[in-house]
Amino acid sequence: MTTLEDYLKRDAELYPSKVALICEEESITYKQLYDRVLQKAEQFHKIYTENQIVSFRAYSSIDCIVTYFALHLAGCVAAPLEKDLPEETFNAIADKLGSYSAPKGSADILYTTGTTGKSKGVIISHGTIIADAENLIDGQGFNHDTVFVINGPLNHIGSLSKIYPIVLLGGTIILVDGLKDLNKFFQAFEYESNKMATFLVPASIRMLLTFSAQMLENLKNKIDFIETGAAAISQADMEALCKLLPHTRLYNTYASTETGIIATYNYNNGRCIAGCLGKPMKHAKLLITENGLIACSGPTIMTGYIGDPERTATILRDGVIYTNDVAELDSEGNLHLKGREDDVINVGGFKVAPLEVEDVAMGYSAVSDCICIAVENKITGQGLKLLVVLKEGQILDKRAIALYMRSKLEPYKVPMQYEVVDKIARTFNGKLNRKFYAQK
Amino acid sequence: MKEKIRDILEEALPLVNVDSQFLFSELDSLGVATILMALSDKFGIKLDATDATPKNFKNLDNLVALVEEKLKKQ
Repeated sequence: MTTLEDYLKRDAELYPSKVALICEEESITYKQLYDRVLQKAEQFHKIYTENQIVSFRAYSSIDCIVTYFALHLAGCVAAPLEKDLPEETFNAIADKLGSYSAPKGSADILYTTGTTGKSKGVIISHGTIIADAENLIDGQGFNHDTVFVINGPLNHIGSLSKIYPIVLLGGTIILVDGLKDLNKFFQAFEYESNKMATFLVPASIRMLLTFSAQMLENLKNKIDFIETGAAAISQADMEALCKLLPHTRLYNTYASTETGIIATYNYNNGRCIAGCLGKPMKHAKLLITENGLIACSGPTIMTGYIGDPERTATILRDGVIYTNDVAELDSEGNLHLKGREDDVINVGGFKVAPLEVEDVAMGYSAVSDCICIAVENKITGQGLKLLVVLKEGQILDKRAIALYMRSKLEPYKVPMQYEVVDKIARTFNGKLNRKFYAQK
Repeated sequence: MKEKIRDILEEALPLVNVDSQFLFSELDSLGVATILMALSDKFGIKLDATDATPKNFKNLDNLVALVEEKLKKQ
């Protein structure tokens, strides 16, 4: 079996009445799921051509997952995009993606933030999906009885990748639309199973610890494991979670859209080391370059950036992905993350290139100059602040500029804090002096 | 009280229309958490996940009622 859909077909044959997906009041079995996928794939066959890249909004819904599988089955490449993208941006990306031809064997295009401010379409192959799935099964103990609560966006590898091992093993997925309604998140755990699992970015863990520690503790005999990743989790939050869930495996994972799922570490092991990401997984190889940066190889890595061989060559050379993540390997071979070597700001697991924010802000009529900087946020760790130099005679209407930026950007890229300044610090050659603000 | 909460929300969440009658639907999970955090901090009250219901977050008036109720119980 070489694709996720091969496994889905097998699941429908072996476990036809097993619950595959639950979302709100709807629950469907593997047979029902596969039948819906077949039906939709047939429709897609009529409207799309082989290997066509098809964009869709990644809603947390059964229909979205059916679309994802059906596109693959119809021989298309699935491009799940952020569900709240402004219409204009969605159409521009969809049109652009539709004009490319993906390499043979491509399954998905996942959009991710680039350091240069422009989002990049990462090509993920069917082989990569299976390798990621096997890494998770081997590294975290996913099994046939696992009931995984997906609460994050399905265009993000953190959540999307959990569909892979579940389908390989015939497990169950419960979809929850974010953590906005924490009560709904907890309701998902009322499902009759003591093999429940979920993925939570550190910001979500922070929210749960702050507002619902008792409810979390009540689940200590139900939650088999929780994975976190995408941003640094604090030692205090790790220890608090270990205390509330003493029997639960708690993983901190190193993964990215480009590298795939590389390493994982169960920090509920009595040692609870912050920044530790464990050893490379079954299908992953990693090394630390002379500059102290992580480089990865193996079947989990991306094929490249769609339509951008030059940019691909900047990070992918001879089958090795060179990241901007600074790390060390200890004497036991465990990976320890130390930070990043670029300007990307991590807002609760979502990576934001300040340049992209500044480019949009400069389009706002009252702005003469600006810089987007990271500020401390109690929930997300880092938040965005825009320092603005106004044009003469203008005043800063915080809501108006925020709404303008929202019309061009995903919500997490819009700064929540604004400050008017007289000038923006620049280096001797006129570039924004980011180090000056980072040190403040 | 209402004006104070309005100011808190406008300061913390510039994208949100504070006068909306569908405030909850305008928020994402970070927005809900930000409001819980800001109201807890500014009024010294204890809010938890069970308070973050669509009803309590429906509009500014309901948030005011939530804070007043919490203050009374203290």
